[in-house]
Amino acid sequence: MKLKVDYLLRSLLALFVVIALSSASFAQRTITGTLSDAGDGEPLIGASVLVSGTSTGTITDFDGTYSLNVPEGATSLEFSYTGYATQTMDIGSSNVIDVALSAGTVMDEVVVVGYGTQQVKEVTGSVASVDAEDFNKGNITSPAQLLQGKVAGLSISRPGGSPNATFNVRLRGLSTVGSNAEPLVIVDGVPGVDLNSLNPNDIQSIDVLKDGSAAAIYGTRAASGVIIVTTKTGRSSDRSNITYDGYVTFDNRARTVDILDASQYVAAGGTDEGSNTNWFDALTQTGISNVHDLAISGGNGQTSYRASIGYRDVQGIAINTGFDQLTGRVNLTQKAFDNRLKVSFNLNSTTRDADEGFDYAFRQATIYNPTAPILNDGINSRGGYYQLSAFDYYNPVAILEQNTNKLTTRTLLASIRGDYELVDGLTASVFYSQQRESERRQTYYSKDDQWIGAGRNGLAEQILDNDFDQLLEVTGQYETNFDNVNMKILAGYSYQDFSDDGTYMQAGNFVTDAFGVNNMSAALDWGQGTGIADSYRFDSRLIAFFGRVNFNVDDTYFLSASLRREGSSKFGADNKWGLFPGISAGVNITNLTDMAGVDNLKFRVGYGVTGQQPEDSYQSLSRIGPLADNFYNGGVFVPAYGPLSNQNPNLQWETKSDINVGLDFAFNDYKLTGSLEYYNTTTENMILPFSVPVPPNLFGFTLVNVGELNNSGIELLLNYRAIDNDNFTWNPTLTGTAYLNYDLVSLSNDDFNFGSFRDISNLGSPGQNNTPTVRVEEGQTLGQLWGFNYEGLDDSGKWIFTDNNGDGTIDTEDRAVIGNGIPDFEFGLNNSFTFGGGWDLNVFIRGIVGHDLVNTFRAFYETPNNISSYNILESGTASEFANFSDAPQFSDLYVEDASYVKIDNATIGYSLKNPGKFSRVRFYVTAQNLLVLTGYKGVDPEVRWTDTVEGELFKLGIGIDRRDTYFATRGYTLGVSLGF
Amino acid sequence: MKKILLSKLLIIGGLLMIFNQSCTDLEEDIYSEVLTDNFYQSDEEFTAALGAAYTSLYGYLGTVGPIAAQEVSSDELMVPTRGQDWDDGGHWRRVHLHQWTSEDPVISVPWDFCYGGISTCNRLIFTLESSSQPGGEAFIAELEALRAFFYWLLLDYYGNVPIVTEFDVPADFAPATSSRQDVFNFVESELLRTAPLLSTNVDISTYAKMNYYVAQAILAKLYLNAEVYTGNARWSDALAACDELVNSGKYGLTGNYYDNFNPNNGNSPEAVFAIPYDRVNAKGFNIVQQTLHYASQGTYQLQAQPWNGWCSLEDFYNSYEDDDVRKSNFIVGPQFNLDGSPAIDGGVEDNDPDGGQLNFTPEINELGPNCLRQAGARVGKFAYEVGQNPDMNNDFPIFRYADILLMKAEAMWRMNNGSADALALVNQVRNRAGVDPFASLTEDDLLAERGREMFFEAHRRTDLIRFGKFNDEWFGKTADASQAPDPGRFDPEVRIFPIPKGQLDANPNLVQNPGY
Repeated sequence: MKLKVDYLLRSLLALFVVIALSSASFAQRTITGTLSDAGDGEPLIGASVLVSGTSTGTITDFDGTYSLNVPEGATSLEFSYTGYATQTMDIGSSNVIDVALSAGTVMDEVVVVGYGTQQVKEVTGSVASVDAEDFNKGNITSPAQLLQGKVAGLSISRPGGSPNATFNVRLRGLSTVGSNAEPLVIVDGVPGVDLNSLNPNDIQSIDVLKDGSAAAIYGTRAASGVIIVTTKTGRSSDRSNITYDGYVTFDNRARTVDILDASQYVAAGGTDEGSNTNWFDALTQTGISNVHDLAISGGNGQTSYRASIGYRDVQGIAINTGFDQLTGRVNLTQKAFDNRLKVSFNLNSTTRDADEGFDYAFRQATIYNPTAPILNDGINSRGGYYQLSAFDYYNPVAILEQNTNKLTTRTLLASIRGDYELVDGLTASVFYSQQRESERRQTYYSKDDQWIGAGRNGLAEQILDNDFDQLLEVTGQYETNFDNVNMKILAGYSYQDFSDDGTYMQAGNFVTDAFGVNNMSAALDWGQGTGIADSYRFDSRLIAFFGRVNFNVDDTYFLSASLRREGSSKFGADNKWGLFPGISAGVNITNLTDMAGVDNLKFRVGYGVTGQQPEDSYQSLSRIGPLADNFYNGGVFVPAYGPLSNQNPNLQWETKSDINVGLDFAFNDYKLTGSLEYYNTTTENMILPFSVPVPPNLFGFTLVNVGELNNSGIELLLNYRAIDNDNFTWNPTLTGTAYLNYDLVSLSNDDFNFGSFRDISNLGSPGQNNTPTVRVEEGQTLGQLWGFNYEGLDDSGKWIFTDNNGDGTIDTEDRAVIGNGIPDFEFGLNNSFTFGGGWDLNVFIRGIVGHDLVNTFRAFYETPNNISSYNILESGTASEFANFSDAPQFSDLYVEDASYVKIDNATIGYSLKNPGKFSRVRFYVTAQNLLVLTGYKGVDPEVRWTDTVEGELFKLGIGIDRRDTYFATRGYTLGVSLGF
Repeated sequence: MKKILLSKLLIIGGLLMIFNQSCTDLEEDIYSEVLTDNFYQSDEEFTAALGAAYTSLYGYLGTVGPIAAQEVSSDELMVPTRGQDWDDGGHWRRVHLHQWTSEDPVISVPWDFCYGGISTCNRLIFTLESSSQPGGEAFIAELEALRAFFYWLLLDYYGNVPIVTEFDVPADFAPATSSRQDVFNFVESELLRTAPLLSTNVDISTYAKMNYYVAQAILAKLYLNAEVYTGNARWSDALAACDELVNSGKYGLTGNYYDNFNPNNGNSPEAVFAIPYDRVNAKGFNIVQQTLHYASQGTYQLQAQPWNGWCSLEDFYNSYEDDDVRKSNFIVGPQFNLDGSPAIDGGVEDNDPDGGQLNFTPEINELGPNCLRQAGARVGKFAYEVGQNPDMNNDFPIFRYADILLMKAEAMWRMNNGSADALALVNQVRNRAGVDPFASLTEDDLLAERGREMFFEAHRRTDLIRFGKFNDEWFGKTADASQAPDPGRFDPEVRIFPIPKGQLDANPNLVQNPGY
């Protein structure tokens, strides 16, 4: 199979070379020139030269000179350099074009904000923008990865190294404790898109609306911030551009926990089964991934297009895990009626076939007897694998080889937009989009699988889930100037409906494994009544009216005010509609006074209210449905029906109001640029399942709006052109976030009394089921880890814990705060270098400081509880535990500081100076997760924002590293980018 | 130019009007559920709705439900900590040692179970009262009697609890604690009032349902324990309630004790009130998982690996004579796979004298944390099926006729401890078990016989309290008086559980029980 893939790869490469050679037949000419600073005449090194409307371009060398093969038909060149105004020069008959760029007009760049764009100089809210060239490189399995560490305040983490795991994205930490805390993702105007449905290579830029004043225009879904993705489009030029980007990545195991090897295990008292197996090696492989992206773009005066196709074959490091993804995308824009009408079509289709495997195998690899063989016959065997009958103890290789867990995802995103300029300055727009996402999960446990399948004599499960969302938006925009004031007005209406339906089937007891999930009716469970079949449908709707007005007075004073009135069908009858205002203002101080060495100094302040809606529909209604069980009525069982939840007719949105103060600056001829921001956020009416008395209530929990959370932080962005000489440039960029506080001010209101605390996040089976690890307490910070204080072991090997309440006995009252899972500080330091004419080097260092993790590997598998058959961690052989004779108990012994610094990404690339018939040829090598410095002993020191134990999600279970964590990976990528 | 603009605006306005109908409509469309207002349209829907009252009983045997409160706190059963297994924050050991806290699940889950059932009954009574459903009054009586059953459990477990009979109350309704005497009076009066309205049929139509005789059985329990509940003995009332069942002639002892407990035990003539557990329709009886060893999966070809937890105390096991057929209530000795090969315990401790073949020994080395994995006689009273899934088919008798006979004997004996009738009743039960009749009856004989007959039927804690033995010393536990940090909880007048902390947090009108 491996050969086939390689063959495919080679064939594709050969094909692209043919395309490359054929495109070289276009007539080309070479234009050369020098770029210099208009002020002092110094050459500009590493400045960008681009054929307008294409991605064909180059950068200037150490003398500020460039040489570019310009295709026939190109009309102009664009010259740009950080901190300088971009210039466009028409291509005349001359083959030499020299340009002097003026510093100080960097602020002409635009960023994408809600329902439009804004020049950077006018931005008064908190908006961060990352362009494609600044994205993370290497084996990118999800677009979220592109931004990791790039935006101050945006925390992106994926504990462990599974290519199928999703990234947790948190903006400004936790601003809510109730609903979904991921930011709202908007792709080309469509809110609520699944980021994973995009090909990372199709993304032009990602803008993040961080504060309420910027995000309020998205109303009830914006409380956790808004991420706006803009995909690449074609430009109006006369010929097409073709780009090919391809890479191959080799991923290996980077970190595991340290366990006993076969000889250590036997020496420690383990039963010797006569073999020597490194279960981590047996479970993992070098994951070889290859990715190919091909895009064509172009256009003429009235039409522009870009079409792309991307293929990714990603192998995980665990055997039988990985995914295949095919993405196709077409963006097409047509203008008509003297360019007054612009119609844009976007179409994105993605199919992803994932082998997710079972992360449970990692837990088993940790504890499985290292002297046991992988395969075995006769006694202690099942299905050809070595198996032993003990609790929670299964051959990890058998788990991944005998069973399958596949997830197929298909998404289709289609949109059409019409913009018509009614009169100069007044544009009316209509936008319609449709998003379909269908997921099919197929799981099969073999008849020979000791873990689950054997007991059920084969078990098949299939889940089909379909989402169908539609959006209709009508907007009008008007822009005018009077005196020295520029005014923009936006007004709009938005209607979005969401439908989610699906079916679920589970049945076991098969005669043969041959069918897997493909012939469910063959399961004997149906005949015995134990098969499960289910279907469901949930709908919801959002309707909004919104408007915004922007003023720019003399490029010095700026004001932006927006208002969204939005309703959700999920809210109670009397609380359907909410108001979400946002207002921000800024002043450019450099325009008011002369300050030596200061190029730009803008002070801005914003206030905004954003919301969050409940995840589930119908929670405000009184509903009845079939209960889990039937009842016996006169000799037969008949269905029992009853209420499905407590009704809350007052359910409403959660509101977050925040103040954001920012300072944007540029000094020393734009050598040092950056911004500093402070935010203070108050979240109220948090949507929480709340304990209520029964009766009068039917259930012990009601979804209510309750409580108050306050958090604040400081964010810093610094960019410094540190070295900028003839043959060497160094450009470091630093992002930093300090989380100042997370105060759970209250979790009660007049109707609902929280009591003072709740203990959550059970440690788990075996034996530590009633062992909460996190305390959520009114008046305290979030993220508190909670448990005993370890002092040592007594002579008989029993735990000694601190008697914190001094009553002479150790009981649950002696537990205390023993850590905090939320970090204090996060930073990303990007260093980009150019040297030697064509070489580029990028080293990205990322760190998170101050968070603790519960190392559950240690909490379960450190002390020798049953060494005769269960392996333990190497640390368990410490003399401290020599006499250990107690049950495992959770304490601060297992809470570790997980602060870390990583060399997250290092890329070295070389661009051919004279790429010949290509417009661009670049080779690169990337290393991901190259080095991790941390004192943490578990698999991955990444922050854990939520916790799931035995299927139950704890949204505030922050800081628990679970035993099923997929081992972290280190990857090396070889890649090539070609432009034709 | 202005005109053109105006006409264009009109066109856009017209487009907006087209979807104007729905453009601000936020009513929810509901598909896989039904709004309560649209339900109760047919007899079938009413019947299904009433079923919810009975399905709320299925949690009776949950891992930390009433069965755990009644059995694990007693001298019948224990859940030792076996190395890394079953520590669970120590709460199983705390139940055994009578050191439970108001946060322990064995305290909070039975409360939720009872009030969940009460709340469902209140809701259905309210629904029936506000409808014109034919036969509604009989249904209401049935629901009120069932509600009284839940209140009897609360009276027994917690003593002082709030009495809520209304459904249509404000959202912030916070009921206040009633005294144990008041709860007793409420249960008594409700049962006396509703019993005459209930069916006196004892057949398939009332199996696993509340009928006249179930109401009498609850009354019998109420009166037999009245001295514990209120300080005033009601022996003759207990006797009268038992006689309602005995004299009806509608019940009898089965010839084979185990006909009451096997997987096909539905409609046993001994079943007074049963939960009709079923692996498809009525899930929740999973002692097979709780008690059996991991390696027992091969013995019964179980669909899921068991959890190796619950076992009986050695002294209790030894309270059975060897020829007592009821000694098969336990599984002891070497275990084999279905094919006859030895069942191998892959995780056996080095210090287990029994070695690799699974061997259930009645002796238990310690309560924990290093209880041997194979230690302890296992619960085998409700026969397991080959190919068993975790949800068992065996119906569970909440009240059983043999219990009624023993209660009648006890009531008679309490009034006259030389009663020959009492002796005859006890010997009737002993005779079926194949053991020699008693020549005379002592209080200890009565308690021991109840233990042997009623093992694992969720009565032991109540019985021990009534016989004054609940606070005694037994394996792994010293007498409560010697260890009590809070003497109040072991006050002979009290012996009740604390009000769960979560309930006190949620309802400021509740009062914690004395001693907690």
